[in-house]
Amino acid sequence: MTSTLAPAPRRTRSPGHAPKSVRWRGPLIAWLFLAPALLLFLYFKFIPMFVGLWKSLFKVQTFLGDEWVGFQNYETIITDSEFGAAIWHSVVLALGTTIGSIVLGLVLALLIEGPARYLWFVRTAAFLPVVTTMAAVAEVWRIMFHPADNGLLNIVIGWVGVDPQPWLASEDTSLWSIMLMSIWRGTPYDMMIFLAGLVGVDRTLYEAAAVDGASTWRRLRHITLPALRPVFWILFTLAAIRGLRVFVEVYVLTNGGPNGSSEVLMTLIYKLGFQKNELGVASAGGIVLFLATLVLTVIVQVLRKRQAT
Amino acid sequence: MEIWIRQAPDSDSAKTAKKLADAFTKASGVQTKVVALFDDFETKLNQQAAQKDLPDIVINDTAQLGNMVSQGWLQPVDKAALKGGDQLAETAWKAATGSDGKFYAAPFSAQSFALIVRKDWREKVGMEPPQTWEDLAKLAVAFTEKDPDGNGQKDTAGFTAPAGTKRGYASWYASSLIYANGGDFIKSAGAGKYAATVNDPKTVEAVQYLQDQFCKTKTVNPGAVSNDTTVTHEVFEKGQGGIYLVGPYVLARFVKSVGTDKIEVLPVPKGPSGGPGTLGEGENVYLMAGSQNQDAQKKFAEFAISPEGQKIGMNKDANGAIVRLPVNTTVDMSAERQDPRWKVFQDSYAHAVYAPPVPNWAPIRQTSADTINAVWADCTADVKTAMDELNTKLTQELQSQKAS
Repeated sequence: MTSTLAPAPRRTRSPGHAPKSVRWRGPLIAWLFLAPALLLFLYFKFIPMFVGLWKSLFKVQTFLGDEWVGFQNYETIITDSEFGAAIWHSVVLALGTTIGSIVLGLVLALLIEGPARYLWFVRTAAFLPVVTTMAAVAEVWRIMFHPADNGLLNIVIGWVGVDPQPWLASEDTSLWSIMLMSIWRGTPYDMMIFLAGLVGVDRTLYEAAAVDGASTWRRLRHITLPALRPVFWILFTLAAIRGLRVFVEVYVLTNGGPNGSSEVLMTLIYKLGFQKNELGVASAGGIVLFLATLVLTVIVQVLRKRQAT
Repeated sequence: MEIWIRQAPDSDSAKTAKKLADAFTKASGVQTKVVALFDDFETKLNQQAAQKDLPDIVINDTAQLGNMVSQGWLQPVDKAALKGGDQLAETAWKAATGSDGKFYAAPFSAQSFALIVRKDWREKVGMEPPQTWEDLAKLAVAFTEKDPDGNGQKDTAGFTAPAGTKRGYASWYASSLIYANGGDFIKSAGAGKYAATVNDPKTVEAVQYLQDQFCKTKTVNPGAVSNDTTVTHEVFEKGQGGIYLVGPYVLARFVKSVGTDKIEVLPVPKGPSGGPGTLGEGENVYLMAGSQNQDAQKKFAEFAISPEGQKIGMNKDANGAIVRLPVNTTVDMSAERQDPRWKVFQDSYAHAVYAPPVPNWAPIRQTSADTINAVWADCTADVKTAMDELNTKLTQELQSQKAS
């Protein structure tokens, strides 16, 4: 990316005037404003990250003092048979949730786009899942997923003649059920971003297309979607990160079960760290997850740049 | 002095703990602060440990002992020097023993497991209390098939089970049946060494029996394989299931929420190949390392195990008992509690089996929970094969704990 802002030409100053401090005042004030946030980040984000990295090289014994084990923790986690499965589940869940939310979000955005008065209500209502706490959402869905005939979702699908499903209780459907809930929750968020993106689409293009007799589908395909390209990239990046670090929904709904069928990286790391008390191995898992997220983000960014040029 | 207890904040149990601490303050003059925490209890202890600022006293499950010893969180307890220590049941002391043979806690509360059953349902379907596993299975089928709640819908199950993997629940639930059949997870090989024994026929038979309930007769409440105890308690209370193999700590709650005449407590029938037995568990008073108040810690432990402390903790018949069964042999439980159903748990305690004092039981329970949950969730899974694999995993775990 090239900066469009050329540096302002330096004003020539007559010597003796304007003390040195003036030159520093601007940046200094900026940094001062940033300082509280940076300090908080430093203390609650960056220091813990480095401590995590450091601890991943130890057998962590919080009270006795840690024991150096080098890369053994990494070896343990990478050779753990559950680790591979957890990565696979994370990826499936991330992909499914991302694609589902984007497609549905786009459809919803197109449906409720426009300046009509009553739409604010629809938009607010649609946005509600996003502002509700994940734990609460998951708890409600857990009740709706009740696998018996009298479970709420089973009653609903019964209306269209579908047999009751085990939802979370079967290893064949647990991951898909979690995905369904995640899509429900993620869609409105994507919808809002799309709505923001749609505002930026040049209206005259639509008018021109209408004059040329283009169908709705062609307008969508040739005007709307290309104009939304930057939005897609933002959503892909966000969704990839969100997808990999999914935790609360899985923890509340299935805790990785049954039979490990919905175990994702975060629940595995949690289990290792806080249920088996192997904090060193869990830290190593955390670092692996961080690296995976980093690689994924870089890939998306590279693809984006390639597209842009 | 800070006392942590693994109970939900503001729960009846937390109030009982507060009562116990207040009585202790009155008797000793030592000021106390009770912290009741339920979710992620061990995580929060870990955070305190990292800051080298553990609470002075922790009242927590006996099964956490090895875990806490291996982290260096606990001070050894001199059994002989602990006033009243000689009045405690020997079985309870076993649950306070570390893998090195030293005592690392004062036993505080004990529990065994039994079946809490919907008496009204059992009478409606016209069956006697089960004497064998076969009877038990038949009762479960009747509860599932014969509409015991009489609402005209097939919406009841026989068993309600917390068969998820959180905190190792699947293993916890299966334990009582495994012990009731004479099986075990690991056995002592002498001199602090252990060998895995989950693939022995008696253990396999117990897990197979349960798989049949999940898969063949389908008499377990739907969704059990991803439920923890919190959800399972509600399933029982909502009348979605009629047989709950559980500890006595929920008895007062169910009596209140379901109705006292609808609830009965029956012992776990012994298995076809052995028994009797149930899981033995309870809570210990742990004296935490790094405390500035060692004298007060010891005094609190002595108060907690004294007849007075035990009686306060028992909380009579009311909800919120933090002493489920008294560990002090001089306390007469039937004098404290009128409800005869408690006695079933007390009688079962005579053949309760505690987790052996391996360095760390937590990973063994978690690993076995993962496997047991798997064979219940996947009806095509072969129990024997899965238990053979689990045996290998437990052997490796024991090796890594240097206990095999």
